[in-house]
Amino acid sequence: MSIFRCASCYSTDMNATQLKKIFLMFLTSGICTTSFSQGYQVNFQGQKQQGMASAGTALPQDASTVFFNPGAASFLEKGSIEIAMTPVFGNTLFEEDSTGVTGRTNSPMGKPFSVYALLRNKKVEALSYGIGIYTPFGSTIQYEDGWVGRFALTRLELMSIFVQPTISYQLNDKLGIGAGFVYCIGKVNLQKDIPVIDQNGEYSHAELSASASGMGVNAGVYFKASEILSFGLTYRSKVTMGVADGTAEFTVPEALAPNFPNGSFSSELPLPQVITLGAAFMTNENLSIAADINYIGWSAYDTLAFDYVNNTESLEDTRSARNYENTFAFRLGGQYKVSDLLSVRLGLAYGMTPVQNGYVTPETPDADRISYTGGLSLNLHEHFDIDLSLLYTHVERWDHNLETNLTGKYTTNVVAPGFALRYKF
Amino acid sequence: MAAYVAIGGSSTGGYMHDALTYEGQQNSLAAILGSQFEMVGGSPMVHPSVASSSIGWSLTGASVLELGFKTDCNGTTSLSPVRTGPTGDATVLNNIYSSTNRNFGIPFLSSLKLNDASYGDPMNGTHNPFFARMASSSSSSILTDLSATNMTFCSIQVGVDEVLEYARKGASAGSLAPVNGSAGSGFTGSIQELMDLVESKGAKAVVATIPDVMTMPYFTTIPYDGLDLDAESAESLNQIYNPIGINFVVGKNAFMIEDPNAGVFGVRQMVPGELLLLNVPLDSVKCYKMGSVFPLRDEFILTLDEQQEIRTAVEGYNESLVNMANSKGFAVVREDYFYKSFSAGMVYNGVSLNAQFVSGGAYSLDGLRLNPRGNALLANEYIRAINQKYNARIPYADPIKYKGIVFP
Repeated sequence: MSIFRCASCYSTDMNATQLKKIFLMFLTSGICTTSFSQGYQVNFQGQKQQGMASAGTALPQDASTVFFNPGAASFLEKGSIEIAMTPVFGNTLFEEDSTGVTGRTNSPMGKPFSVYALLRNKKVEALSYGIGIYTPFGSTIQYEDGWVGRFALTRLELMSIFVQPTISYQLNDKLGIGAGFVYCIGKVNLQKDIPVIDQNGEYSHAELSASASGMGVNAGVYFKASEILSFGLTYRSKVTMGVADGTAEFTVPEALAPNFPNGSFSSELPLPQVITLGAAFMTNENLSIAADINYIGWSAYDTLAFDYVNNTESLEDTRSARNYENTFAFRLGGQYKVSDLLSVRLGLAYGMTPVQNGYVTPETPDADRISYTGGLSLNLHEHFDIDLSLLYTHVERWDHNLETNLTGKYTTNVVAPGFALRYKF
Repeated sequence: MAAYVAIGGSSTGGYMHDALTYEGQQNSLAAILGSQFEMVGGSPMVHPSVASSSIGWSLTGASVLELGFKTDCNGTTSLSPVRTGPTGDATVLNNIYSSTNRNFGIPFLSSLKLNDASYGDPMNGTHNPFFARMASSSSSSILTDLSATNMTFCSIQVGVDEVLEYARKGASAGSLAPVNGSAGSGFTGSIQELMDLVESKGAKAVVATIPDVMTMPYFTTIPYDGLDLDAESAESLNQIYNPIGINFVVGKNAFMIEDPNAGVFGVRQMVPGELLLLNVPLDSVKCYKMGSVFPLRDEFILTLDEQQEIRTAVEGYNESLVNMANSKGFAVVREDYFYKSFSAGMVYNGVSLNAQFVSGGAYSLDGLRLNPRGNALLANEYIRAINQKYNARIPYADPIKYKGIVFP
């Protein structure tokens, strides 16, 4: 016979509605990174090119041309198979403006790799087949425990592997075309703290993990204007990495467990299209210069959204503005053949950041950057050679993030030595 | 900053979750400011510390609040502030005077009592037990003890506690100090005397204004129209109240309150803008028809007139505080602006904070005082004011390092 129907709606007791506001922020920033390239792109797909600032669209040299320009692969006289890896040592320091408090990353070594094989067709000389397996996006960034931006991100691991079977056809002495189909698999693991404390004084934690897949193409045209001048144009399409059934796990105080049900989520991450125009200038037998301009369709990364299957008042679907902008990168490299055994390389790249002011996150402490590269090849044997490369870059970016209000300067240093082993036939 | 002395009320002293505890003291406004000053060469702060194991003592002798589970009169169990023990720890009130104490944060401080020599005398009916525990003797006033300190810098946060003390009881008991009047009888004169003392010690100071306390969750959590009725309940209330022209409908209705000026029967419904306070006994409301058949008493309500009275007084206090601080060349921290922006909600390093009860993340469980994280945010406003006024470079505190609400 209570006179009230809704006894608790004006109570001081906590109900779901009142809890709502605490957590709205907690999952709103998201995937995407690396500390060593524009956005979360990784330009380590060929050791010779890496020595030359990753230019090489118009300078086919080995099987990595499968990636750099499928249209140029058919111009290579030899088939080859190669394996390459580039250990990446990167660290980022964040200095918060107001407190002077610093936070560092202790990310594990990045391990971008590539495997290429290129075969010439025995009957049709103008035709080559190739396959490339490479990792053009992703890495792991991990911040030290208790860092000031812990509620934005504590760890992000993003990995993608592209598999690209390719056909290249030489139309005539000057012109080649080629295309590859790209199938991409990947995984992502995103972790951050939730600003809720349990009885032991420990913050709560969220971990989102998922595998993803997507498809795309990599197509190119190669035009060899003369013995000393060539051009290349490639189009690598956008690949949308879809997450259909990710796993969301929450470590929260018992009283809040119903608000944060472990469960499934879906999301997607665009890996942007890249259009590249390149030129190569072979001044003589020994000296080659290569220049590439990349146009990267980062505006595809407009929003990062997470849809949770089990929504609660505390765990709503989130949409975070990323508002990336399309950007260019300019790459210039030179190669000098010292002897039959040794070639050396140098390169310089300028990459524009896709991340606008107000949108820099701990996942992508990104800025316009200059990369310095060098490399060499040892032609040890008729069938066997080795490439080495080295990249260094230093990035500084100050930002006041509009979503989290995290304000301060990110300073990143990256050293990436790489190597390739190649068998030619 | 070599010798920082803090003068103020609950925030300065670390009274939070409706009790004075060691943890609260360690996370007081004065403690947080003290540790930031230490970074630029200040000497470590000394507090009149409660034993670290103590469960605290509230004004009414209760233990500190924590978030736990409570079962209401309907048998519904939910997350709610609960006391950590059946009674508080009375040893908190033991006098622990030390001449080295530099935190004169006195919960429930009243400006009119700054120079009252009986304010720390437990035998006196109007004494403040939280001053008595730190007073040098039972016949010393706050100003006497302050003048014995070696201050070079001082934070002054006087006024908010007395406004809260009046407001939290629905403006039903006591009165607000007149804005004008001499020391001991008016706010301005009392503060003037305090600032004169600080100036005479050759110290610099930061002076805080008083926030609009009515934005605090204690006043905003329960809606005035939270009386949710089904058809049967509405009908039975209408039988009672229709004769005096009050009608109830199915769904939300304004609560019934006592008001001597409301017609012959002295009862009426609440109107929009009126505040129903957190001191209302909720089980009585839920199960025993308080606020409907039995109208709510004045002590649970701030009417529009009462709110206006408080706001007018605070405006007067603030004008005086700012004028006096300016004439002394002291820094001014606009706590009123801070609380106002805060009530609209803010995001600090990915943490969403606002003035909502419990979930807002910065208020303590009494809904009136800030928790450690809230104090750190407030401390940063002080630092901003000090840095600007004195061209100093004191680093800001990291509010994320300080606890919000602990969940079971």
